[in-house]
Amino acid sequence: MTFEIPKVSYTGKIREIPLGREGKTVIVGGESCYPFHLFEGEMPNPPKIAMEVYDSEPEDWPETAIEPFADVIKEPAAWARKCVDTYGAEMIALQLAGTDPNDKDLSADEAAKITKEVSDAVDVPMIVLGCSNVEKDTDVLKAVCEVCDGRNLIIGPVAEGNYRAIGATAIGYKHTVVASTPIDINLAKQLNILLGNLNVPDEKIIIDPSTGALGYGLEYCYSVMERIRMAALIQEDERLQFPIISNLAREVWKTKEVKVPESEAPLLGDIKKRGILIEALTAQCVLFAGADILVMRHPEAISLVKESIKDLMTGK
Amino acid sequence: MSKIICSAAIRGAHKIVGMAEEKYEEALKKWGTDQEIGFPNTTYYLPIIYGMLGIPVETLGDVRQILDKCKELVPPPVSDKVWLPYLAPALEAGMATYFAEEIIEAILYLEQPDFYTKAEDPLPDNIWLGAADDVIMRKRGVEFVDGTAPGFAAILGAAPSVEIAAKIAIELQEKNLYVFMCGDHEGKTMSEQLIEAEVQIGWPTRLVSFGPSYRAAVFAIGFATRVAMSFGGIKPGDFKGNLYYNKDRVFAFAMPLGTVTDKWYANAAGAINWGFPTIADTPIPEILPTGICTYEHVVSNIPHDKIVQKAIEVRGLKVSVTKVDITMSYGPAFEGERIRKDDLYFECGGGRTLGVELTVSKDMSEVEDGKVEMIGPDLDQVKEGDKLPFAMLIEVAGRKMQSDFEPILERQIHHLVNYVQGIMHIGQRNIMWIRVGKAAVEKGFLLQHLGTVMHAKYHQDFGGIVDKVQVKIYTEEEKVKEILAQAKRVYKERDERVEGMTDETEETYYSCTLCQSFAPSHVCIITPERVGMCGAYNWLDCKASFEINPTGPNQPITKGECTEPLLGRWKGITDFVNKASRQKVEQVSAYSLMDFPMTACGCFECVATILPMCNGIMVVNRDSRGMTPCGMKFTTLAGMVGGGNQTPGFLGVSKHYICSSKFLLAEGGLKRVVWLPKMLKEEIAERMKPICEKMGITNFADMIADDTVGTTEEEILPFLEEKGHPALTMDPLM
Amino acid sequence: MGLSGIEIFKKLPKTNCGKCGVPTCLAFAMKLAAGQAELDACPDIPDDVKEEIGEASAPPVRSIVIGTGDRAVKLGGETVLFRHEKRFENPPAFTLLLSDNMDETKIAARLKKFNDIVYERVGLVLRPGLVAIKAESGDASKFGALVEKVCNETDAGLVLMNEDTDALSQAAGSCSSRKPLLYAANKDNFESMGNLAKELSCPLAVKGSNLEELSEVSEKLIAKGLKDLVLDSGARTAKQALEDQIIIRRSALLKKFKPFGFPTIVFPCEMADNLMKETMIACQMTAKYGGVIVMSEIEGHSVFPLLLASMNIFTDPQRPMAVDQKIYEIGAANETSPVLITGNFSLTYFIVSGEVDSSRVPSYLLIKDTEGLSVLTAWAAGKFAADTVATFVKKSGIEEKVKHRKLVIPGYLATISGELEEELPDWEILIGPREASHLPAYLKQWKI
Repeated sequence: MTFEIPKVSYTGKIREIPLGREGKTVIVGGESCYPFHLFEGEMPNPPKIAMEVYDSEPEDWPETAIEPFADVIKEPAAWARKCVDTYGAEMIALQLAGTDPNDKDLSADEAAKITKEVSDAVDVPMIVLGCSNVEKDTDVLKAVCEVCDGRNLIIGPVAEGNYRAIGATAIGYKHTVVASTPIDINLAKQLNILLGNLNVPDEKIIIDPSTGALGYGLEYCYSVMERIRMAALIQEDERLQFPIISNLAREVWKTKEVKVPESEAPLLGDIKKRGILIEALTAQCVLFAGADILVMRHPEAISLVKESIKDLMTGK
Repeated sequence: MSKIICSAAIRGAHKIVGMAEEKYEEALKKWGTDQEIGFPNTTYYLPIIYGMLGIPVETLGDVRQILDKCKELVPPPVSDKVWLPYLAPALEAGMATYFAEEIIEAILYLEQPDFYTKAEDPLPDNIWLGAADDVIMRKRGVEFVDGTAPGFAAILGAAPSVEIAAKIAIELQEKNLYVFMCGDHEGKTMSEQLIEAEVQIGWPTRLVSFGPSYRAAVFAIGFATRVAMSFGGIKPGDFKGNLYYNKDRVFAFAMPLGTVTDKWYANAAGAINWGFPTIADTPIPEILPTGICTYEHVVSNIPHDKIVQKAIEVRGLKVSVTKVDITMSYGPAFEGERIRKDDLYFECGGGRTLGVELTVSKDMSEVEDGKVEMIGPDLDQVKEGDKLPFAMLIEVAGRKMQSDFEPILERQIHHLVNYVQGIMHIGQRNIMWIRVGKAAVEKGFLLQHLGTVMHAKYHQDFGGIVDKVQVKIYTEEEKVKEILAQAKRVYKERDERVEGMTDETEETYYSCTLCQSFAPSHVCIITPERVGMCGAYNWLDCKASFEINPTGPNQPITKGECTEPLLGRWKGITDFVNKASRQKVEQVSAYSLMDFPMTACGCFECVATILPMCNGIMVVNRDSRGMTPCGMKFTTLAGMVGGGNQTPGFLGVSKHYICSSKFLLAEGGLKRVVWLPKMLKEEIAERMKPICEKMGITNFADMIADDTVGTTEEEILPFLEEKGHPALTMDPLM
Repeated sequence: MGLSGIEIFKKLPKTNCGKCGVPTCLAFAMKLAAGQAELDACPDIPDDVKEEIGEASAPPVRSIVIGTGDRAVKLGGETVLFRHEKRFENPPAFTLLLSDNMDETKIAARLKKFNDIVYERVGLVLRPGLVAIKAESGDASKFGALVEKVCNETDAGLVLMNEDTDALSQAAGSCSSRKPLLYAANKDNFESMGNLAKELSCPLAVKGSNLEELSEVSEKLIAKGLKDLVLDSGARTAKQALEDQIIIRRSALLKKFKPFGFPTIVFPCEMADNLMKETMIACQMTAKYGGVIVMSEIEGHSVFPLLLASMNIFTDPQRPMAVDQKIYEIGAANETSPVLITGNFSLTYFIVSGEVDSSRVPSYLLIKDTEGLSVLTAWAAGKFAADTVATFVKKSGIEEKVKHRKLVIPGYLATISGELEEELPDWEILIGPREASHLPAYLKQWKI
């Protein structure tokens, strides 16, 4: 019995989406095979990592996550610069967590001002994410779009409840949107259809089907991403042929397990390495599920993932 | 089609194009061909010309070819003798009018640079804003796209009085529309009238004073044309795309106030190209048949107090109600409240008094949106512990409304009323029951507020099918009796309609893919006689769901040719299921348990399976906890069957479907059923009767074994034999 | 895929004798079809039928057991390429590598850690699976001694790595009753290795330098009558290993290619120079079809995330994971702390407890058994109805823990509040937020 390699015949391809300012764009997407299945297709643009920056000083981070940014943690623009200059960030993801009405409730104008400062501080593509409050995000992201006219930001989350307002503004100011849906392939598809109906151009859509941390529901997100990729690549589902973003760091770094010191839970090992690995492994999992952009926090976790992507692409 | 209108529009176009020609020649002499012209701060040149023809007019020299184009477009004047002109030539004349007007206005910018303010707000000495620059267009255009401002009213002329002008403007503002004002009627302009009435005008208040001339209408149309290019991805020169975009998305209309001149006609005809109809206050001829615009083209002689409402109807604009405006808190958190005896202030219905609620659809003209009438005493006229008869009649109208949707809307009353803090609602139809707590009355709650609630929520939740809602609440015994009688007639008709619907009478079935989140390849097919297996969605629900949410989980499927009547297979259904299951399910039968049965999600009400020894079928419901004769409990069965797989011999079914005449037709229908849990049997006993009669076995229910007879096949077989159950002698199941 | 339940049922005796442990032949057939029962459980199936059904219903990737007793590790048995298609059956075994070249203290320390590490989560026991002992010294007695030592110090299953058949035979002979995995038969030694594995009835690893060679050796061993094989394609880079694992699984499932119808063994320990990177590769193997995953070290901070990943990926997507019904104390809760209630769907529990935790408001979280359903689904299915909630609250013992009587219910279940107040007359029912993410804000303003 001789064996032959059973290859999948892919009928679809993920759209290539250029991100960031003109002349400095980074392209994501373009895959014509499952993640890293390079023996039967292509991944012209390996997945990218966006480093997180917060609009205001985070209050509940464990020491592990604060340490690399301790000197810049109060200044978003300096923080972003450090990510690019020191840690070689390919993209920045500005998390406007402080705009949450249940948190600091920063106003749309304040958020826009911070965004503009960060945007001016770095040249790499920039993702700007609201607080996931449908009404507040509408105000905030509209203001953000206006002040960053022409920057081709990647703004989100654009959800079913506010896609019209944010989508329309994004069209007007030529930004890319993150279409966010709660762990459901059909909802993801539906939102993409709705954005299309609104005339958001197809090369301006990234999808976020939700992410959970390792041990916290990751499996649901993993399967939804896999299914979305499958639908896009072999089931001719055009409205799912978009790159996927996974906003994972936020989920990882709020779990109990990255915060418990070794003294309290000796079997969990070194707290720092554990935090880094939980983030890196969450990333590794979503990479294999189909993510194109990973929003990450810890520089060492990011190095691990970058190295892994390189190995998988080049076959070292 | 009105010959008068078309002739007038063509005459007007001739005049305007002629004027443009004159202005152009003058300007050419003065400045020469290289002189730059255009509107301030825009990258869209003269936007209508750029949008329609794709020609960027940058200099005076560029104007010549546009004027030539205008002359090509304008048809010869209509002769009185020939019965000819139709809409098309008038539309072309209208288009030429806009090109010509843009040229005239561009030359005006050249001649008198300060004629317009070029600002967002009027200045003390100049109220005319002129063309919106790109900054304004983008900021305001977003509102057009996201629906916060659904569109605009282009008002030409002036109202008969300052008060009427203010009233119309405010009414339009309340509908979130922009008001673009231009032109005069007998020397008066709407803009000036508003200033006189101390209404603040300018872009921020959405009351935009474009210009004193009728020609300033081009700024409105130019704005719409740019919105399509900027937000719709429409390329310059793609006139078809641009016009369709505006027709479908920008809810604009022209509202001439005062004498409609030939030049106005020419502008109105032009607007029809964009799908913008004309609603006039003067008795001009009407163009009612639909075609270019979504609905009517020209509607006339509308009284000023009705003109806004009419305009909204004609343009097909959806009213958005953002807030439920009552004194009480409102929201799902209050749904489960109980009003106990001690807290009770007032109650109605529930067997204590007559009570009924009814939602019916009416013609558009019969419903006045937002009207809530209280007929009889309200809560401020009763004392604690009182009871009153109660009837709530909700009348809705909508271009997409169908009488089939009435019961679906009516069913919502229960939870929508329950969302009011301090109110308890139970039941529906004429068994409804409302209790109002003391705290609610203290806060000023009135029965009338229920009307406000229903108006707001129907618009919010069912805007796809409902355009207008009016509510009448009765607490007078005689009136309540009248409504009750009407309601009983309606209920009867509805029930008969549902009974009368069969899978054969309808060409369209519906899909439900709501459960694909956990059952990836599951596709439920819902037909008139086969309710979704969860029991929650029937065919009408799906139909309404699709109208409300066209991209949602319930899609219409043209069933196509019936290939297997007994199994329930249709070509269209097979194709759809194959696609929607992402090629996992190749074939599906709507009426079979054994032969490519439907996939099952996980939330089915019951599972049907075979009992081989009895040559029959058993059905077990979710609430049943015990063992069943197939050797598996419901929970075990559910684990085996769910997840979106086809499992021959096992099928998820709704309770309703068990009593359908299409129930497992391929296996012999209800006749095959040999075992049911007792509670399920009792629950469906009533609805089983007509089917049993049709089978000719009136005592069939008694032949079906249940858990009191046994929970193994061995136990129930003797019972079936004793009763002479028909399944025992039917063809072998497998 | 195999036969449907009905197709299997047709071949069964249809006696409903119950000897297989389920009441009816139909139920047994369904279990067989779902891979939840063994054909041998039915004493009355004729052999020819047994073979027919067995052939058709056997999973395309054979299931293999390494080790014995509580610590036996089951691998393979897989039927799908993607977890959402059905489920992945047997999670990988994270395996500690020990070499007979290591110094004793190192061995002792590593083995101790291996033995100590065990976690409990959502009712599952998570721990590293096997110990691999590798012959590197070239000294058969040293190897034998280490095998013996490990045998004495752990109950875990073993992988004995020595490609010298004689040496392996010596070491394995004494512990064959522990069912170690013998590593490995290659193109040169497969005859002797095959014989050894047969003789000891132990599972045998097959190693090729590439897939081609692997398939040839595997095929020869099958021809020799070996049944329990574990495959090593020889790949020692992340990229090549990924490709090989995918091709092996696909060949087994889609082509029914018998030589590849077995679980695999992979070596992240040979693909990286530090444990962090090695862990990343092991994670890749967890997602993509690794069976025995051999690690140079097992540390809490490395293996815990790996075990989480494997738990997530191997969860049955159609069977929600559930946590126990009880009172969960979050933070230093006292008699004035808020009391919240929700369902026992594990995700609900994790998210709600996480949000309560991050609110820094010590609270009692009552978790009611909803059979792993989320609250809304549970409510719709009658598993979060007021009466059953009330019974649970009364019996939970919460009334002794707090002096107030305020119960926060999920915002989505506002509809049961009235009924619940009637069932729990002493309690005031408060409607919590609809989304867990709003809990911190809600709890911060919570007052007795």
